[in-house]
Amino acid sequence: MGLEPRNIDIEPAVTDLRNRTLSRLPGDFSRLVYLASSRDCNTGRYFHDGLAFHFSQNVASKAMALCHSQIFDRLVNVSLEELIEELRNYIFSTDEQPEEFLKSWKHLGSYRVTIPSECDELEAEVFLSNVKMALAILQTHQKPVSHDEQSA
Amino acid sequence: MSQLLPYLFLGLLLSAVLAWWVWDAIVHRSTAEVLTPRQHRSTARSVGSQRDLGERIFGTEDWDFVLHETPSEIQRMFQRERTVLALAWLRRTRRQTSQVMRAHVAVARQSEDLQIVVEIKLALNYLLFLGLCNSLIGWVWLLGPVRTRKIVGHTLQWAARQRAAFAQLMARVDPASCRVVGTNFNHGTVRN
Repeated sequence: MGLEPRNIDIEPAVTDLRNRTLSRLPGDFSRLVYLASSRDCNTGRYFHDGLAFHFSQNVASKAMALCHSQIFDRLVNVSLEELIEELRNYIFSTDEQPEEFLKSWKHLGSYRVTIPSECDELEAEVFLSNVKMALAILQTHQKPVSHDEQSA
Repeated sequence: MSQLLPYLFLGLLLSAVLAWWVWDAIVHRSTAEVLTPRQHRSTARSVGSQRDLGERIFGTEDWDFVLHETPSEIQRMFQRERTVLALAWLRRTRRQTSQVMRAHVAVARQSEDLQIVVEIKLALNYLLFLGLCNSLIGWVWLLGPVRTRKIVGHTLQWAARQRAAFAQLMARVDPASCRVVGTNFNHGTVRN
């Protein structure tokens, strides 16, 4: 009973966020990174000026938290092959050099901050492990390309 | 003297399992205490998404992909990663079962309609489950989740049957605090 009014309150904000912001991003991994980067690491609150203007800061933050969790759940359950494709799409969308990107993400563990606050411990472990694997596999795919590029 | 050897071996095996259990409980006690509130929150949030986590960890889809598409170095890395996850999942399953068992014991102590035979049967099944769970942890640790998925699947099918009986018993003893022990393993769709 207690959850029902809160869900009704944030539903328009969730729809707005999906339609106006998240749908424009290429793939779930990009959406995950976007939502994680909109979160204040000190407080765990999410910030989105447009959404807060139309609704309220509190509703906007809750809507973003909900979308973050849903996208995370989807990514936890995709196969490793699909996750690699998601990650590849995200890398291309950043316009960074893939080799540099992969090296940086592997060393800094940047993907660790993409986990939602309200998250099951084991789900988080599964996700981190899969991203770690995906990065390693993408790096092995990169090696022959860079070698060819060098020889060309 | 040779007649005593099987008993000696069985005793040693039981001692080893018990020692492993105690050691594991001590090592992971602090983790369990820290994780409990988060798990409780997440259970309310997304029970559905957790249901297939065991299947996700023990499933062969990712392994098939890794086996055919990646070099041996990556395959070894995958085995290591999945072993860690499988062990964490088995420990959590054991911990959840223990939590429900403790809750049941607390309620049963105050119950006036206590059936001793059923309680003893339940306690024996619980001990058997713990023993099997610890054995599985050992097997997964030694062989990895890919090679042990059949035995894990069969054991947890048995555990699921016990769980159903346990839930009925809990409902009879204390309907208010009746909770389902989740093994998070979808047995119906697991490919052996």
